[in-house]
Amino acid sequence: MKKEIVIPKLRPEMQEAVVCAWLKEVGDPVKKGEPIFEIETDKVVTQVESGFEGTLVEQCCEEGDTVGVLEKVALIEETA
Amino acid sequence: MEKTLEKAEDLQAAPPSLGKKPDWLKVRYNQEATEEVAALMKDLRLNTVCKEANCPNMGECYRKHTATFMILGSVCTRNCRFCNVTCGRPEAVDEEEPMNVAKAAKQLHLKHVVLTCSTRDDLEDGGALQFAKTIRAIRELCPGTTIETLISDMKGRTESLDIVLEAKPEVLNHNVETVKELQKAVRPQAAYERSLGVLRYCKQHSPDIRVKTGFMVGLGETEEQIDRLMDDVLETGCDILTIGQYLQPTREHYPLVRYATPEDFARYKKNALLKGFHHVASAPLARSSYRAWEALEDVHGLY
Repeated sequence: MKKEIVIPKLRPEMQEAVVCAWLKEVGDPVKKGEPIFEIETDKVVTQVESGFEGTLVEQCCEEGDTVGVLEKVALIEETA
Repeated sequence: MEKTLEKAEDLQAAPPSLGKKPDWLKVRYNQEATEEVAALMKDLRLNTVCKEANCPNMGECYRKHTATFMILGSVCTRNCRFCNVTCGRPEAVDEEEPMNVAKAAKQLHLKHVVLTCSTRDDLEDGGALQFAKTIRAIRELCPGTTIETLISDMKGRTESLDIVLEAKPEVLNHNVETVKELQKAVRPQAAYERSLGVLRYCKQHSPDIRVKTGFMVGLGETEEQIDRLMDDVLETGCDILTIGQYLQPTREHYPLVRYATPEDFARYKKNALLKGFHHVASAPLARSSYRAWEALEDVHGLY
């Protein structure tokens, strides 16, 4: 089953973030808790972890893209 | 100006960048791990400074089931230029808050609780009694748990400080925040001498309480000013020092001047220990309450 990884809402006023780096490529295995991509926020760079175990099947944006909070960034095909 | 009146786009805008953020300012975030603590706080109507200050360490601390409680509401009467906490007209003091903090500490199995507050210049005692009540509630529900209070200057009123000291927290923390020369620009409603006075008074009146302070770098201070700040703080009898990188919350806040390197922080630490501080936490993401129990354990046998 495909699971979405979204831009987390790190604070109430946050509306978007810049995806500054991909840490996993399409086809890479992903463990639960492993960082998948980095977003730049006001204060720091945050590595967003996967909530699922499986394979990265889609990168929904490119490095440098601005993505809205809770919008899809990556798709993971979850291991059954 | 109340921060709540800022335009939404200003809150969104990243502060003027010093270029790419350095590698040492990277943190991890896990939705699931963070939500558990966030849900508990919401259930008990509690605030954390982790959330209100948009702390970069929140992901790590919540995952480890630690948090710093912010009592006396999430709205502050002061508008310090470095701080992300909302300034405005505060709410009434919540009488159930002390026991709710104790309940949360118990549920999270905290062995060390850090309590801080919004600065309440509108209250006669600066919120001291709420601190004392919260300490007593934690003592009642969580025997054996150590307590650290990170207080405002309480306008320097010794009657207020006495109320907190009489409740006997293990650690009394009050931040000087920055060097003498930048006080007016960075925290206009506070004062360097008053903050040093708070530290000195607390140590003199409760010598068995560990006194702690912290400051930020990256606001434009010089190395000589940092050196003098350490001397001034040490002279008050302060035991524990924390030094961390200032991170500009929004473009409306005090401008970030530089990123100090991990080597800079190592040098500050070495210097502070040589001067005579008992424990020093100095790192880019070191914050007042970050891994606070480690500092307490380190100085535990001092007195």
